[in-house]
Amino acid sequence: MIVLHYAAGSPHSASVRITLAEKGLDWTGHPLDLSRFEQHAPDYLDIAPSGLVPVLEHDGRRLSEAFFILLYLDEVYPDPPLGGSDPGERYRVHKWGKYVETHIAPHLGIVRWAALGGAAGPEQAQGFARLPHERRALWERAAAGFDADQVAVSRRALLAAVDRLAADLAEGEWLAGPALTLADVVACPHVRQLPALGIPLPQAVQDWCDRFSQRDSARALEGEVELLPVLGPEPGRWG
Amino acid sequence: MVEVYTWEPNANSGKPLFCLKEKQVPFTHHYVDMGSYEQFSPEFLDINPDGTIPAVVHGRLVMTESTPAMEYIDDAYGGPPLRPADPYLRWRMRQVMRYMDNVVAPSLAMIASNRLAAPRFIGRDPEELKRELNKIPLPERRASWEKLMFNTTPPAELEESARRVSQAIAHFEALLAELPWLAGERFSLADIAVFATFYGLPISYPREVHEARTPHLIDWLRRCHSRPALQEAFALSRGFISQRAAEVRGMLGIAESVAA
Repeated sequence: MIVLHYAAGSPHSASVRITLAEKGLDWTGHPLDLSRFEQHAPDYLDIAPSGLVPVLEHDGRRLSEAFFILLYLDEVYPDPPLGGSDPGERYRVHKWGKYVETHIAPHLGIVRWAALGGAAGPEQAQGFARLPHERRALWERAAAGFDADQVAVSRRALLAAVDRLAADLAEGEWLAGPALTLADVVACPHVRQLPALGIPLPQAVQDWCDRFSQRDSARALEGEVELLPVLGPEPGRWG
Repeated sequence: MVEVYTWEPNANSGKPLFCLKEKQVPFTHHYVDMGSYEQFSPEFLDINPDGTIPAVVHGRLVMTESTPAMEYIDDAYGGPPLRPADPYLRWRMRQVMRYMDNVVAPSLAMIASNRLAAPRFIGRDPEELKRELNKIPLPERRASWEKLMFNTTPPAELEESARRVSQAIAHFEALLAELPWLAGERFSLADIAVFATFYGLPISYPREVHEARTPHLIDWLRRCHSRPALQEAFALSRGFISQRAAEVRGMLGIAESVAA
C-alpha cells in the first residue's frame, strides 16, 4: 500500500502525485495545509523531522526527497518506464533531478516568498523551534524577510535556469529524450510557477510547460492552489 | 574510450576516478590543474562552459555533474555493480550522496579553501584579482572565490560549516555502527561519494576522527583505503593527495598493494 503525505501548492508534492498517476498506481493521501503551517505540527514532524513535504510510505518504509521518491517508484513500478531509455537519457534525468533540487527549488522558494509577501508570526515561530538547525535558520531568515541582494541573486539564478531548460529543449520536446521522463516531472511543477513571479519563459520552455500541463496526470491537479509563500530546500552555501 | 577531466583524486574530482577504477573501466585521464586555474582556461571551457571539474565525456555525452556521472558509469558499464539492487537501498544510497553533496562537502570545501587557498591572495593587487574573478563563469562560484580572494567569508559561516562537519562525522559513525557500508551490506556509490571527501579525516580532523572516538568510521576508512581500485585512483595524483593518502594508509596500518 502507498500512502503519500503531500500538500497543494507544493511543486515537490505535485511531481510525486503526477508520477503516481502516470503509472496508474492507487494511493492514500494525507493532505497538509501549508497556508496553516501544518507541516510544522508535532504530529507531522514525527513523520518528517525536517518538516518537508512530500513523504511516501510504502511497505512499512518511509521515504523523503521528492526526486528520490520518483526514482524509487520508477524502480519498483517500471511500467510505464519514466527513468529514461538508455544510460545517456538516464544521466540527463539525474542531472535535472539534481539541478531542480539544488538550484531551481531553493531559489524559487526565496523569490516566491518575497513576491507573495510571505510572513510568519509568533505562532509560526513556535513551529520553527521544532525544526532541525538548518531548516529553522532558513525559516527565520524568511520570517525576517530575505534581503534585496539575496532576492536578486535568486532571481538571476532562475533566469539562468530558464536558459538551461531552453538549451536542452532545443534538442527535442522533452528534457531527457524523445519521450516524457522523470526529468520533466521533477522540473515542470516548479518551472511553470515562474511567469506568475515575473520571470518570463522563452517560447520553447512555455511550449514544454503547456505540453506537460495538458497530460491527464497534470490536469488532475488543476484548480488547486498553485502558489503559496513556502520555502524550498536550503540554497547552496559555498559555490 | 571515456575521457575524464579531473584535478587531484579528491572530492568531486575523485568521484569518477574511484568509480571507474572500481568498475575496471579503461579511460583516458586529462589532468586539469586547479592550482593554475586551468578549469577556467579557454580549452577547458570549450568542454565545460561552467568551468567546473570533473567532466566525463563519453561520445557526444558531456557529463559535468559528478554524482549523476557516477550513476551513469555504473549504469553504462559491466563490472562489479556499485548500486544496490533493492530500490529502497538505492534510495538510501542517494540520500547519503545528497547529504554529502549539499551539506557536508561544501562545508569542508569552505573550511579547507579558507585555510589553504585564501592566504595565497594576501597582498595581491585587487585589480588583478578582479580580472581573475571575471574569468569564472558561474555566479555562485564567483561569489565563493570573491570571499576567498578578499578574505570576507563571515566567521559565523565558518563556524556553521565546522558544526556541520562534526555532525556528519557523528552521523556516519552511527550509520556504520549498524551496517558495514553506507548503503547496506555492499560497497556502493555512497561509499565512494563520502570517501572522496573523507579519506584524509584522520589527518585533517585528528581530534574528532580516531580509533577511540569513531571506531566504526575508522574501520570503514581502513576497509576503503585497502581497496586496490581506490589505491590505483590515488596513484593518478600529481600533487600532494597521493602522499596524503599514503600517510593515512600508514596511520591505519595498511600494506601497500599498488606500486607507487
